[in-house]
Amino acid sequence: MVYLEEKLKEVQDSGRLEYRSKALPTWCPGCGYFAMVDGVAHALNALGIPKENTVVVSGIGCSSRFPFFLDTFGMHTLHGRALPTATGVKVANEDLTVLAVGGDGDGFAIGCGHLPHVAKRNVDITYLLFDNGIYGLTKGQTSPTSAKGFKTPTSPYENPDQPLNPLLMMLSYGASWVGQSYAGQPDHLKEMIVKAMAHRGFSYLHILSPCVTFDKTHRTYGNLGMTVRPVPAGHDTTSQDAAMRLATGGDPPPIGVYYAVPRPTLGDSLDGLVVKAGGELPRRRGTARAAE
Amino acid sequence: MDATDIQILIVGSAGDGTIAAGNILRQALAEAGYKVISFDVYPPEIRGFGKCIARMRATIEQAYSLKQQSDVMLSLDDSHAIPHVAEVRDWGAVLYESKPVANAPQGHITGHIRPGQIPYGCAIREISEKATGANRSRNIVALGYLAGLYRLPREAFHAIIDRQFKKRGAEVASVNRKAFDEGYAAGAGAFKLDDVAFGPPKPNVVPGTVVEMINGNAAVVKGCLDAGIDCFFGYPITPATTIMERLATEMPRHGKRLVQTEDEISAISATIGAGFAGTRSATATSGPGLSLMQEMLGLGTMAEVPSVVFVSQRGGPSTGMPTKTEQSDLNSALFGGHGDAPRIVMAPTNVEGCYRCAGKAFEMAEAYQTPVIVLLDLYLSNRYETVAFGQKSPFEPDVNKRPRKQDLGAGYKRFALVEGGVSPRAVPGDAGGMHIVTGLEHNELGRPADSAEMHLAMCDKRLDKLKGALVHPDFTVAKRFGAMGKAAVGLLAWGSTFGECLEAMFQAEKEGIDCSAMKVVMLSPFPEEAVSAFMDDCAAVLVPELNHDGQFARLVQGTLGRKVVKLTRVPGVPMRVSDILGEIRRLAGRNLPQAAE
Repeated sequence: MVYLEEKLKEVQDSGRLEYRSKALPTWCPGCGYFAMVDGVAHALNALGIPKENTVVVSGIGCSSRFPFFLDTFGMHTLHGRALPTATGVKVANEDLTVLAVGGDGDGFAIGCGHLPHVAKRNVDITYLLFDNGIYGLTKGQTSPTSAKGFKTPTSPYENPDQPLNPLLMMLSYGASWVGQSYAGQPDHLKEMIVKAMAHRGFSYLHILSPCVTFDKTHRTYGNLGMTVRPVPAGHDTTSQDAAMRLATGGDPPPIGVYYAVPRPTLGDSLDGLVVKAGGELPRRRGTARAAE
Repeated sequence: MDATDIQILIVGSAGDGTIAAGNILRQALAEAGYKVISFDVYPPEIRGFGKCIARMRATIEQAYSLKQQSDVMLSLDDSHAIPHVAEVRDWGAVLYESKPVANAPQGHITGHIRPGQIPYGCAIREISEKATGANRSRNIVALGYLAGLYRLPREAFHAIIDRQFKKRGAEVASVNRKAFDEGYAAGAGAFKLDDVAFGPPKPNVVPGTVVEMINGNAAVVKGCLDAGIDCFFGYPITPATTIMERLATEMPRHGKRLVQTEDEISAISATIGAGFAGTRSATATSGPGLSLMQEMLGLGTMAEVPSVVFVSQRGGPSTGMPTKTEQSDLNSALFGGHGDAPRIVMAPTNVEGCYRCAGKAFEMAEAYQTPVIVLLDLYLSNRYETVAFGQKSPFEPDVNKRPRKQDLGAGYKRFALVEGGVSPRAVPGDAGGMHIVTGLEHNELGRPADSAEMHLAMCDKRLDKLKGALVHPDFTVAKRFGAMGKAAVGLLAWGSTFGECLEAMFQAEKEGIDCSAMKVVMLSPFPEEAVSAFMDDCAAVLVPELNHDGQFARLVQGTLGRKVVKLTRVPGVPMRVSDILGEIRRLAGRNLPQAAE
């Protein structure tokens, strides 16, 4: 009891509850996504980002209900369209902190075509991909990151496909920040969300998370708890080559920062076009930062 | 002679510089002070030997469409031009290469010119080679010949040629000027037998206006800029691409942003994202792109986010006829999404209308918090008209309905059920305005809610608020032309075909038929009262449109429960005025509306 009371006081004093809405999450008890709401609230609080300057954009899926549980601006859009919508928000107003959130089906099935483009443009947003390897909202069908051989209602004999490797994909698309975390390690997750959001440019954080309701065999807390390990000390986060080797090493690959390099953002490039065309840049709070 | 009304046709093969010559000619005519309407036809292939046609009509007062018969034809390729000789009227002129390298498969062009048409042979190639050392300037020489023949003001052409070629260097400009002058001398010396005559043009006398020779897509761009567009996201597609290309040049000059996206879904998603962030944003596409955008447009309706979508229609379905015009995306624009998803849909009828609709679309998207589709078509996108623009933007820069301070905070109702249905909207950055928009049915706070009562209340809200668009300030939703009282035949039309309707109406009036025409610019919400009143006055109502099934006729019949007579054509080119006139005569003779189906 003493532990719980201390924990409660710590949470209340932290200020991060300010970022939570009154709406109760719609997820199943034990779902890894609870840790992510707390993680994002922590990161916004830690980085001192005003609520009204934050926009959280999601698609469709269990994880895409995310924006409702924060007291920020939010868009709960269409299946697969969080990233292009978030791009529009950021292009419209560089002063906003824009987060895109979604699941493995939303991001790597229906929305997969947008990934290379948001990465190459280096839109200054953070994409939190909640990967539970299953379609939870439609009750447990196979997803693009489901293991081969996995049995679900849409692959009752077994999943005939091999899973995608999202980390490897995002690295090869040229995302300027790539990392992985695990919902079962909330402190690691918090720290990683802060790092991802602090990165200037497109940051991709892959978050392993169990679906406690529909997956009792593969991506469970038990299995992940035994296999998740940190990125080895001494990993060079400026080497795309080293990062890609990490992404192909192990099942699952390690958690931590894979790759982080500075690169001009889409906003920088668009400002560059204005300068080239002889136009006048709009006044904005973030301009000083862009000029650095 | 003050009744100048001359149509010129230039026909050539891809690579002959047909469109380039047409471009110089129409600009020079406009510069000289004539009103011009012009429309080119070219093949879908970039290279090859497809037929290119530049057609333009120069008048004293602005004409509404091209004529069926041309007064002058200039052939740059006889094999393509021969089928068009018949288009030239009696005592009109046919200009051609007098020393062709080889005969066309159909024989020499002179063998196809009928008695009464006047042939003018010119050694175009020889003159070009003499003037510039190459035959590449054939189109310019021929243009000079035509200008010389009709004594068109040489300075106007010089100015255009200099402007056109200066980016390729002063040398290129001067060579082309020489080619033009040599052609001009040859034309001026030719003995003129035809009766084509240009009278003096009427100078622009409207104070504070500047006359521009501009096509529909360029007018859209001007409208966007004058309305203060902030963001544009697009994916190239014929015939909408030039909107994006022009904006890509113009927007950065104004400190604004344009992004070429990976597909149309991304384009509309980003447009709506930027709209949510409080900016004026737009995208442009054609039928296939509109199909891809439908789901996101439904979110725009549901989430009540402003966005503007320009759709330039082409022949469909599927890939259809990308370089041919059609008006067959009306159904898609009105009803393309799933669920009850009302939105504003408008269609300009001429180039000036493209400008007005473009600017007003931003106002309405903002005022009624909804997607607005502006329906153009290839004919309107690519057709040039001389338009007098004011120097000051006629568009309102901000018509947002913002929440009052006391309504912000924890209980802020983004989707408050208020009188008129337009709820005050906070945007990111507004303290206390935090809210979530969602594609789920929701309550006033924006939280998911699917009770029968809430769904009905929100459906009503989303539909009712659009009615404001019917009385939006300074916007003509429908307008009647011609006879104002009872009429034997009423033409009810939308989009680019309205020009042909007006021309047909003028001719019918000359024949003594009581004829009236109404253009319907606002298609959703539908101006029921205006259209109904018009139909009350007309013994028969004819609906000419360029699609196979009579999509607008069905809209009118379905909305008003009254029969109209369909006139549908899908030739890929503008409707023939004579087709409309034939139907008018038929209906006037019988004076009875015929069952449409």
